[in-house]
Amino acid sequence: MRLLLSAELLKLLKQSKTYYALGAILVIELLILITAYFQGSTILDLLLDNLKQSFYFEGSLLNGNLIMYIVLNSLWFNVPLILMIVTSGIVTDEYKDGTMQTVMLQAVHKWKFILAKYIIAVLFTLLVIGFMMLTTFILAYSLFGNGDLVVYLNTLNFFEANDAFHRICWAFASGAISMVFYCVASLTLSIFIKEAAKTWIAAALFLIITTLLLKVDFVIPALNRFFFPKLIDSWQQLFYYVPDWTQILINNAILILYTLAFAAVGTYVFHKKDIG
Amino acid sequence: MLAGNNLSKSYSSGKALDNVSIHIPAGQICGLLGRNGAGKTTLFKILCGLVKPDQGQVVIDSKRSKPIGGIIERPGLYNYLNAYDNIKIFAGIQGAATDKASIQQTLLKVGLPLDRKDPVANFSLGMKQRLGIAIALINNPECLVLDEPFSGLDPIGVASLIALIQQLAAEENIAILLSSHMMAEISKCCHYIYVIEKGEIVNSGNTNELINRHITSFSITGKGIAASATLKDYSVELGINDARVVCTAGKIPLLLNQLLQEGIEVSSCTPILTLEQLINKNI
Repeated sequence: MRLLLSAELLKLLKQSKTYYALGAILVIELLILITAYFQGSTILDLLLDNLKQSFYFEGSLLNGNLIMYIVLNSLWFNVPLILMIVTSGIVTDEYKDGTMQTVMLQAVHKWKFILAKYIIAVLFTLLVIGFMMLTTFILAYSLFGNGDLVVYLNTLNFFEANDAFHRICWAFASGAISMVFYCVASLTLSIFIKEAAKTWIAAALFLIITTLLLKVDFVIPALNRFFFPKLIDSWQQLFYYVPDWTQILINNAILILYTLAFAAVGTYVFHKKDIG
Repeated sequence: MLAGNNLSKSYSSGKALDNVSIHIPAGQICGLLGRNGAGKTTLFKILCGLVKPDQGQVVIDSKRSKPIGGIIERPGLYNYLNAYDNIKIFAGIQGAATDKASIQQTLLKVGLPLDRKDPVANFSLGMKQRLGIAIALINNPECLVLDEPFSGLDPIGVASLIALIQQLAAEENIAILLSSHMMAEISKCCHYIYVIEKGEIVNSGNTNELINRHITSFSITGKGIAASATLKDYSVELGINDARVVCTAGKIPLLLNQLLQEGIEVSSCTPILTLEQLINKNI
């Protein structure tokens, strides 16, 4: 398995699309930063004009914490879409280039080969989220400084600077679990579909449907609590004034189980399927 | 030794293979001739274990970790990597040696240069075929299957690949099965030939015997061949530079003698055998 993992890592590092993905994340961050730099104060003043007459806010509300929170919100759609496209390519490219056949003609166990791909996809996802967090942290704090965070979740919630930073870090960690789930799901889709373009469409559809189902009331309480679309926003729950830490932990644990189940299904299907 | 016994395979589009049996002894080169869509690739995929047959079994007499290697349809390579890294990856995933000397030896075995550091996307098709064979030979398999290895190669590339295939069979005692729809290439390098049509083996035999058995005409070139009196006794179709004479292989020495006695300076005599003749003889 170690040999397969190092081969997969070498392939990932040598492919230009890996760096395109990191570049895309950086472009999103820069766009948010530029928009915030030139228009952020005006928008915030407009939104909080009344509140500012009654409350005192320490420092500027357009600060590094707010920028990090805005970047964090790209975990809803932009980042998972990029990650799903890149990670599904780990399998679809092998089919397209005929290397899947070449690998299967070597003395390699099918299940080990695909499991190595799942592991690399997970590591890549964690690397991207880590990269996103680190670059946003450096850029946002160096350009906008520190300060209190204001977030609108049903109502306006205010967090002191230190508390805000603490929550943002945990939100990135929880968001990383959601991103890993999406990536594993897209890899599983690629095993079924094989073709890159079709897999991208299926992955985008999966992402849209999951996001839509998040807001749907399934009537059955167990479905409302444990169905995977209901678990992907755990990172967002960290910005309620009093977060339910137990619920957040349970949601993340169940999402990890879903992730393992998707990977197990993909591995089983790949092992049973003919190549070619 | 590689053998497939009574192999059958059906897809939703129809039957791809119907009770096919094939046998390749160690050190021999067997050719599989057939039109496009005749079932060659399906048979190769089954022999390599990529596709499970509906019926029948594959027998490979080997105790090695990798009993069979091959190229199916086209050499599947990581085009963004160079030849060295391709070998390194494919050797690494199966625990074969990945040190510099071993990789260079593998490249040299198939006649690839050591100084090419650019991605294989820049390689010619012939070089890709060679690299594909190098990858297939990692871990010393006892059988090698090559699906359409001559497709897209120029005559020099074909001749060079044939020499490599013959060398591998003779020196490494590998059982080699290769497919093509090109009669000339297959007849040049194979000891034995199978002919497949619509998923069935319709003809087979030792290459020389099979060709002799089915040849019905020859292309003869020579000075004054068009005006030859001898050829009036035969059915002849005159071309721009040759005369295509309907004649069995057994009668050709007599015909050539008669032409020489008549004073025709024969410069070449080439058997004309098409894939259709091999297929139709037994349908």
